[in-house]
Amino acid sequence: MDRTAYPHSINSGNSNSYNVTNIHNNITDANKVIADENTEIMRWLSPLDPGRRHQDVRTDRLDGVGNWLLETNEFREWRSSEGEADKAVLFCYGNPGVGKTFLR
Amino acid sequence: MIDSLCDESGEEGIAVAGFYCDFRDQQEQTTTNIMGAILKQLVTRGGVLGHVQTAFQKAKMELCGRGLRLPDMVQMLKRAVATLRQVFICIDALDECLPKHLLELLGSLKEIVQESPRTRIFVTGRPHVEVEVIRYFTTGIIVPISPSKHEIKRYLEKKLEMDTTRDAMSDDLRADILRIIPERISEMYEYQ
Repeated sequence: MDRTAYPHSINSGNSNSYNVTNIHNNITDANKVIADENTEIMRWLSPLDPGRRHQDVRTDRLDGVGNWLLETNEFREWRSSEGEADKAVLFCYGNPGVGKTFLR
Repeated sequence: MIDSLCDESGEEGIAVAGFYCDFRDQQEQTTTNIMGAILKQLVTRGGVLGHVQTAFQKAKMELCGRGLRLPDMVQMLKRAVATLRQVFICIDALDECLPKHLLELLGSLKEIVQESPRTRIFVTGRPHVEVEVIRYFTTGIIVPISPSKHEIKRYLEKKLEMDTTRDAMSDDLRADILRIIPERISEMYEYQ
């Protein structure tokens, strides 16, 4: 009886674990397909990656430099006038090297 | 600016996207690609937005239709912006775009603001692009940037601290550097 039950339990065990592995693989595959598609969509939207440049700017920035801008009336007006299209744009101009890129 | 806005904008539905124009990359930095780079930053919040995905799948089906055109890109961006509570778009160094791209870029940003007036746009550039910015945004807020003596001094102090050949430095030279350079630099910008 034991001898006949044993292979059966192994079989059922195997088939269960096969199913679990299968489901797991399917989920992994599905995630991979989604991830691949997302990468493809990102590439389709633009080949440019501004994140890298932003990281460089962050690294080179001296803390506190450019903070004065956040205290100006112009910045506050721009920041707080939500929904007013005529104040939607804040343009900061200056000659090369004045620190426009590093404004905080 | 991007970091400051991000720090302040912890709230749900507020997104900050930025782009740095670079004259060395003018050919690839077309308006469509710049707008795409902005859109990429919006869709990474909470996964790719459904409509972008649909547009992608549609483009994939069409023969040779994979390249995006500016009007389609602006349309997608407008939709993405409209789904969020508020979007901040920061673009650095407008003067480094090709003139043709600059006008398209400002035109596209204007379209976005018209559709979603809550959108805030922060742009920087050399003084000569002010004319173009004003052409598209007549009531835009304009701020001149010049470094303060105090900031230049802090920057120099930091650089001197990192000096790898300290033996060549004396207290007198250090004091002169910290006194003369900030003065000269601020004089330089005063006359411009």
